[in-house]
Amino acid sequence: MTCAEFQRELPDFLEEGGANELRAHLNVCPVCSGLVASLQSIVSEARMLQDSAEPSPRVWNSIEIALRREGLIREPQPQVHRSILRSLTSRWGYASWLVPVAAMLLVGSAFFLYQRPAKNRRIADNSHPQIMSALPSSGNASDASDEQLLQEVSARAPMMRTAYESNLRDVNAYIRDAQDSVNANPNDEEAQQALMDAYGQKSMIYEMALDRSLQ
Amino acid sequence: MERSYQTTLTVAVLLALTAFAGAQTKKEYRFNVGAKATVSIINQYGAVIVRPSTGNFVLVNATTYSDKVEVDQTQSGNRIDVQSHLFDGATPENSRVDYDVLVPADASVTLRSTTGPLRAEKLHGDVEMEGSTATVDVRDISDSHVHVKTMNGPVTLSNIRDGHVEIDSVSGDVSMVSVSGPLVRVSSTSGRIRYDGDFGYAGEYRFNSHSGDIDATIPADASVDVKAQSVKGRVQDDVPMQPKTHTSFLAREGSSFAGTINKAASSVWLRTFSGRIHLKKRQ
Repeated sequence: MTCAEFQRELPDFLEEGGANELRAHLNVCPVCSGLVASLQSIVSEARMLQDSAEPSPRVWNSIEIALRREGLIREPQPQVHRSILRSLTSRWGYASWLVPVAAMLLVGSAFFLYQRPAKNRRIADNSHPQIMSALPSSGNASDASDEQLLQEVSARAPMMRTAYESNLRDVNAYIRDAQDSVNANPNDEEAQQALMDAYGQKSMIYEMALDRSLQ
Repeated sequence: MERSYQTTLTVAVLLALTAFAGAQTKKEYRFNVGAKATVSIINQYGAVIVRPSTGNFVLVNATTYSDKVEVDQTQSGNRIDVQSHLFDGATPENSRVDYDVLVPADASVTLRSTTGPLRAEKLHGDVEMEGSTATVDVRDISDSHVHVKTMNGPVTLSNIRDGHVEIDSVSGDVSMVSVSGPLVRVSSTSGRIRYDGDFGYAGEYRFNSHSGDIDATIPADASVDVKAQSVKGRVQDDVPMQPKTHTSFLAREGSSFAGTINKAASSVWLRTFSGRIHLKKRQ
């Protein structure tokens, strides 16, 4: 089984568990296993976000508006049951999984922004580092996501790959430095703002790579 | 022998140029609109230039260079959507479309192109531009939201008054001359940010870059409350200011400063990780 075939079956794999063939591929392919790990962490962290601190309805509304404007979600079609993962698959093909990654970066940034404390409130609890470490921006899951993104860019617009590669490298360095600053000074609001900006920049790269203009 | 080769080459070049000229097609689309129309131009490859029209109409001049692309356009009431539609076999070279667009000055415009360039001028409706490698140029805009996103395309803003300005560029340089408004925010990863202006009155200006330098040049009568901080870069100011004793960060010589100039009408916050920051007085 190839990576492309696996990723075509990915929505089913995530929703219902996979057939032996899918599992066999997962065991031998670091790229796809990284991708699955990334998506599963998004799903579990999304549940945690909902349980721990529900952001303002404005946050969800803003995200929904942004996703609708980008054409990533549409009005429901009542007569036909379609899972969101399946509909994304049909729209974006192999790149479908990049949509939730980009959305997670967006949600993470928005969550972080709206959860920012008042000036004098202590925020050195462990929730933010937990959330930030869950975002697919550092470590193996991020590397796999970035590599998949670059493969997608190469397939659609080969001459853009170098630019995306260079910019992803820069923005990952930005995230690492900003994360280090937050770790060193958990109460520093400006460091947190910088971290959020860094995630915003990465989210923008993903958005542009998924943009219709590359199709 | 060599002469024959040159002749053949000349003929080939002339034929290629003739074929290219033959493939170039210009089309014009006109739409009547009311006040505060919304105009969206989505172009994969090529320029989009928007200027004000003299009446309540939108005039789109589109130039295509091959039959691998066509221009789709729709009007729904006061909303105009124009989009380049690529066919099979389209490449960045043969699917380029150049748009020259006139819109009522109060129209809101959304422009997108991967390669650009993108340019908007003399408007007072909202302007939103996005292009990964596109050069973006926005000038003579007032009372508007100006939102720009690029990956490595450079951004130039000039003479923006009372703007709500938000610029995000990963590695493109951002240059602003006479840009002011209630909010001016620039975020970059490695691009250089350059500002030349007075920071207006009662505005909030936030410029941050990870590794790009920030240079701000202000006149002697600028009225600002300014803070600058770089984690690893050098911070320098050549402007006499009243130092602030109470700041949200620990001020360190050479890597941060905070102070007020005149009545401190606008708030200015300059921040980098490793980029240099330089605030200087206009000569």
